[in-house]
Amino acid sequence: MGFAHWLRSNSEHYLAIDAQRRVGARYGARAPEKARGAREIFWRHVFTPVYRLLPWGIRRRAIAILPGSHRRDWPIRSGRPRGPAV
Amino acid sequence: MRIAVIGGGAAGLGAAGAAKAVDPSAEVVVYTADTDVAYSPCGIPYVHGREIDSFERLFLATKEQYVNTGIDVHYETTVEAIDAKSRTLTMAGEGVVSYDRLIIGAGWNYAKVDVDGADLDGIYEVKYIRAAMDWDQRLDSCKSAVIVEAGLVAMEMVAALLHRGIKVTVVDRAPWPMADVLDPDIVEPVRQAWEDAEVDMQWGNWVTAFKGDGAVSRVETEQGDIDTDIVIIGTHKVPNNPLAAAAGLQLGTTGGLVVDSRMQTSDPNIYAAGDCTEIPHGVTDIPIQGLTGSHAYAQGKTAGTNAAGGTRHYRPVFVPWGLLAGEWMIGGVSFGETLATALGIQHVVGKAQGITRARYYPGVRPITVKLLAEPGSLRLIGAQMVGGEGIKERADFLAMAVRVGLTVEELATMENVYSPAIGALNEPISVAAQNLLAGL
Repeated sequence: MGFAHWLRSNSEHYLAIDAQRRVGARYGARAPEKARGAREIFWRHVFTPVYRLLPWGIRRRAIAILPGSHRRDWPIRSGRPRGPAV
Repeated sequence: MRIAVIGGGAAGLGAAGAAKAVDPSAEVVVYTADTDVAYSPCGIPYVHGREIDSFERLFLATKEQYVNTGIDVHYETTVEAIDAKSRTLTMAGEGVVSYDRLIIGAGWNYAKVDVDGADLDGIYEVKYIRAAMDWDQRLDSCKSAVIVEAGLVAMEMVAALLHRGIKVTVVDRAPWPMADVLDPDIVEPVRQAWEDAEVDMQWGNWVTAFKGDGAVSRVETEQGDIDTDIVIIGTHKVPNNPLAAAAGLQLGTTGGLVVDSRMQTSDPNIYAAGDCTEIPHGVTDIPIQGLTGSHAYAQGKTAGTNAAGGTRHYRPVFVPWGLLAGEWMIGGVSFGETLATALGIQHVVGKAQGITRARYYPGVRPITVKLLAEPGSLRLIGAQMVGGEGIKERADFLAMAVRVGLTVEELATMENVYSPAIGALNEPISVAAQNLLAGL
């Protein structure tokens, strides 16, 4: 597993846990288990709050520089035509 | 031209068929490690649950039909290596063969449950049809089953096992079913139905070992031991790409093959499609992996067309999806609140509970629709739904609504079909949009 894959895999997992806690609380659902061990504590109590502090634009740019299919050629979303169809 | 295809699933066969259609003179050869092609693995849980009476019904085409269309399928043939420079494949039993264009549709595997005893007999990964036939017979004598992680297949297998009268235990680290995708309010009717059916749901728990003498008979977990006759793996999909990685093809952050809209990989002579690839999400532009069979098939068609010299483009995905979990259908588009919150995407939410037919018409079922919109523009960016019927059509519609950039103001004033047997007076999508606007 390369660094980018490792970073995404971990960040995705621990950001999901944080989101489950927040959204679960909104709907009275069960909360995720508490963080255990240094690794979990880092990702949940250091990485996640820092990520959440960053504006979406910066997060998006950070994600955009990682390798992936989004860096290849894809059609951009076309705007809807306005005015009569016939 | 010789076009080789690795994989006999929806992506591989879609690719093979498209390539042959574009260039009938092309030699199209499919290599699959499986004993069969052209069957619906997604249907396996429904045969286990007896909703479908035979595995034979899951086959979409016969082996002869592929012979007749000029597609040469090599069954039980494992590709051991790809040499992209010399454009050759090394196969167990067949030696080295050359290709002009290669299409990889190698699919996916379940994420490994990396604990002691993971290689014991009695641990079932629902995937291959011939194996499923054997497992189906074993289920006849099973009284108890442990499902490890409540992923997508687990949602279907819980219902199947309950139909067979098997006592089910679900062990999952997460706090509710499919928690990485589904919102807790949307999945609640399913969780409640499982509770009513006395499914032992062990959320926040995880497996530490599988134990047994040859075959698994006990699952050890962080919170105690569970005796069982069978274990079913319900973990998420991971792309099956060791071969592609060894060949030096570029992989993305998901572990999926990096492709462009022509499904071309980092090697101009190699295309890829299906669960071994990653595709940009239409809203976030973040590449994602592990989509549906219909995505795999459409990607295969694109890869096959381009490999054979035609031109076809795939598009970023908005991911309409759905599944049947017992009496409930669940589905969605793009993402729900949990995933939007994880990514840190600002959103506003509108929700409505409605009915699927006129309230007096037999078979009427409840349905809940939740819409997510971008603050300010109020463009629809996601949705999740749960109901007794009518989820698929709404998910398809909402995916297109996200794709073309409809706003919740437009959805709030949408017209809808009213006919007692097939639709209620108020469309829950429209009511959810109205509720979202009212809450601003």
